[in-house]
Amino acid sequence: MQVYLPIAEMSVDALLLLGIGFGVGWLSGLFGVGGGFLLTPILILIGIPSAVAVGSGANQTLGASVSGLMAQWRRGNVDFRMGAVLVVGGFLGSLVGVQLFAWLRRAGQVDLAVALFYVVVLGTVGALMVRESVTAILRRRRARPARLHEHLWAHGLPLKIRFRKSRLYISVLPPLLIGFAIGLLSAVMGVGGGFMLVPAMIYLLGMPTAVVIGTSLFQVVFVTANVTFLQAIQVGSVDIVLTLLLLTGGVVGAQFGAAMGTKLRGEEMRALLGALVLSVALALLWDLLREPTALFTIGPVP
Amino acid sequence: MLVALPAHAQPMAPPVLAAELSARRIEVTTAFTGGEILVFGATERLIGSPEMAGSDQVLVLATGPDRPLVVREKVQSLGIWMNGPSARFNRVPAYWAIAGTGRVAELLSPDERADLRLGLDLLPLVQLGARGAQFRPALVELKQKAGLWVDEAVPVQVSGGRLFHARLPVPSTVVTGEYRVQVLLVRAGRVVARQELRLDVVRSGTAAWIADIARGMPVLYGLACIVLAAFAGWLGSVLFRRG
Repeated sequence: MQVYLPIAEMSVDALLLLGIGFGVGWLSGLFGVGGGFLLTPILILIGIPSAVAVGSGANQTLGASVSGLMAQWRRGNVDFRMGAVLVVGGFLGSLVGVQLFAWLRRAGQVDLAVALFYVVVLGTVGALMVRESVTAILRRRRARPARLHEHLWAHGLPLKIRFRKSRLYISVLPPLLIGFAIGLLSAVMGVGGGFMLVPAMIYLLGMPTAVVIGTSLFQVVFVTANVTFLQAIQVGSVDIVLTLLLLTGGVVGAQFGAAMGTKLRGEEMRALLGALVLSVALALLWDLLREPTALFTIGPVP
Repeated sequence: MLVALPAHAQPMAPPVLAAELSARRIEVTTAFTGGEILVFGATERLIGSPEMAGSDQVLVLATGPDRPLVVREKVQSLGIWMNGPSARFNRVPAYWAIAGTGRVAELLSPDERADLRLGLDLLPLVQLGARGAQFRPALVELKQKAGLWVDEAVPVQVSGGRLFHARLPVPSTVVTGEYRVQVLLVRAGRVVARQELRLDVVRSGTAAWIADIARGMPVLYGLACIVLAAFAGWLGSVLFRRG
């Protein structure tokens, strides 16, 4: 069943989009991440223009994260003060990111920039995740107790604030910077950034695991909303028909994934997610290195 | 050169050429998967086989609105394939299709064909930006591959000697705007009569509505996208919650 996407100005098989939404939703439910990092490359792969894939990918991630945020909110797992600091950084980051995106589009290098961002960011994060989880699995075998409270470099900076829910008294600068970086990547890559934000909150800020998921969802929802808005008014690349089709498949898939996710252990799950992230990065890298099938492309004058 | 005279000038003689389109509008809806322009008509004299000297022949040319386009060439730099030099073409017909009762190059004299620019090689495309002869053929090839330029891929079919019709394919990626369909009567290598028909390709239904709002009221559209996605996500999780 073909459906015409009004902003992408092309028709795509609706069942294909529902299927992609389901698959990505299933994985995101399984691993507890938004899944934008998988969705945007797949959309580009099936021929959706990069700009539309990024804009609609951010919009889809927003929808996919809302119900998760509400569930975490009800359980009291959201540190609102930390969330607000991250969102302020995220807004600034996405503002800069969308300007960068519009500039790249004028220069005709959006495709390359999006692919490079994916290769570098996913490659780094994927490798770190695999390494960390493999070490954790090995350490578990040897059963060495971890330190109770780690004193991190972030604790020495000025402008300290007390984050009661996270049981932290740290400078406001590291979370602002992390929020900024994630916001920028969100705008350029069309992702929510949960897969980067969660490790950053645990290892860089030292937040307790219980509030990490809820607080990262809080940041993801607000930043993807901002990216959606800015992409819609500055680039004009958010396709609501595409978003809603992906979401329909996604919310169903997420429920199945979440049900399955409870059966897996934390370390194994992180290792699997890391391997998945790493393989997406390698696939995109291969795409940059091999000789393209079409040496020429045509596009509208930016 | 004869021209297709209006009926009142010569009340007794029928027009040498009469043509019409099956539809004057192509509506691009959310279910649009492509369509066709069906041109049909009749001639006063018999349409002969292309080999017969002096017989009448029919050509159909359809053109869409002009759009500026950029053609980019990929180059390898530091082992990575990236967009390199680009050439800009300011007035590129978004759609272009030609069909004839025979091969256009055989029906028309070279001068006539060049004067009327009836061929992809004769389109007046001015190249700006990067120099290089490779951009124009690349543009032609990509447009043809996308089905937006149709160079004699379908014939003008003749039935009963004087009735003709042609079905020009229109892909789903077609641009909206005003299209011109010219029907040309060819005799002895020259165009002796022509009729021009107008066709509108318009977005209609939900697709048109969404595209109009996205372009005309981007702030409202952006906010609507946020609210709709959030609502759909919430609704979906309520409806499909397991257990």
